Amino acid sequence: MKMKVMVAIDESEGSFYALKWALENLFENMASKCYASTAEEAHAGMVENEGGMVFLVHVQPRFAEYGYPIIGPNGFVYLMTIIIMRIILLTTIFAISVEDYVRKSQEEASAAILSRGLHMCKDKKVKAETIILRGDPREMICQAAEQVHVDLLVVGSRGLGTISRLFIGSVSDYCAHNAKVPILIVKPPIKKDTKETQTSAGTA
Amino acid sequence: MATTSSDEKQVMIVAVDDSEHSSYALQWTLDHFFTTLPNPIFKLVLLHAKPSATSAVGLAGPAYVGAAEVLPIVDSDLRKIAARVVDNAKQICSKRSVTDVITEVVEGDPRNVLCDAVEKYHASILVVGSHGYGAIKRAVLGSVSDYCAHHAHCTVMIVKRPKTKH
Repeated sequence: MKMKVMVAIDESEGSFYALKWALENLFENMASKCYASTAEEAHAGMVENEGGMVFLVHVQPRFAEYGYPIIGPNGFVYLMTIIIMRIILLTTIFAISVEDYVRKSQEEASAAILSRGLHMCKDKKVKAETIILRGDPREMICQAAEQVHVDLLVVGSRGLGTISRLFIGSVSDYCAHNAKVPILIVKPPIKKDTKETQTSAGTA
Repeated sequence: MATTSSDEKQVMIVAVDDSEHSSYALQWTLDHFFTTLPNPIFKLVLLHAKPSATSAVGLAGPAYVGAAEVLPIVDSDLRKIAARVVDNAKQICSKRSVTDVITEVVEGDPRNVLCDAVEKYHASILVVGSHGYGAIKRAVLGSVSDYCAHHAHCTVMIVKRPKTKH
């Protein structure tokens, strides 16, 4: 499968399930070795090679938008708590630079997320590259997909209902509407009891 | 990791209708999923949702007096369109030598038809095209791909036609 696939991952399990799904179903017959490199704040240079390829893109939200995008009542509450937190911190004696602290913890979280993604690709023997971007996840993912000229963009979905989707906002929704490339939305699996390998602890 | 047995292929449903966008979606899917592998891992189902005659006539207005006479004509017209769509889709498939294809025409609202079909076939992936409407058109005309992306219980792939640059 000579497809260039971009998978958007974050800390949620939904996105890793999406990556797993993509690796299992799109790259069945791959035999290429894994190759990875990282690039910060810009898209990485691609390696022109036969065989498919996975681009793992992770977007770090900026400090002000950390958590959820600022829409709706939910976002407003978050924004208020962040503002209040900042005011409290600024008035404290300790001159800790909050920005740096948050950035460092973000870096660590991103590194963990991406290394997990790379591991999964390596297990399936699929070439992978990682891209770290900073900013609004929705726009950055769509832009990245366009710039790297991927064949397919894969995103997970938290499986939110219609109403919560209005308020909390949805990256997969935005990407579905605005991405210029075909997009695959992987839903979290419904708990089926037939297909999963049952741990037969029944008759002991 | 759930292991899928080798003889049980995963089902991919591709929604087809009369538009260029959906033929493009079908072609794109075939090119990327079916022609590059010697033995494809997906079983292909082409699904066309035929709008019911009453809903089509209903657009003319609720108090359309001649509705009863027009219905059979509209119905046969829709049937012809459905047949043409299915033929077209089959041709696209056979051009790429993809022969293991099931085609189905179901009557009803496309949104429900597609989601029900996902349940029925236990599809692992649903492919839809997209008209590429903006936000306002989408609100007025409604979007099947949008509805399916939210409500289908399986992975949904939305294939967009790249805007032709002149």
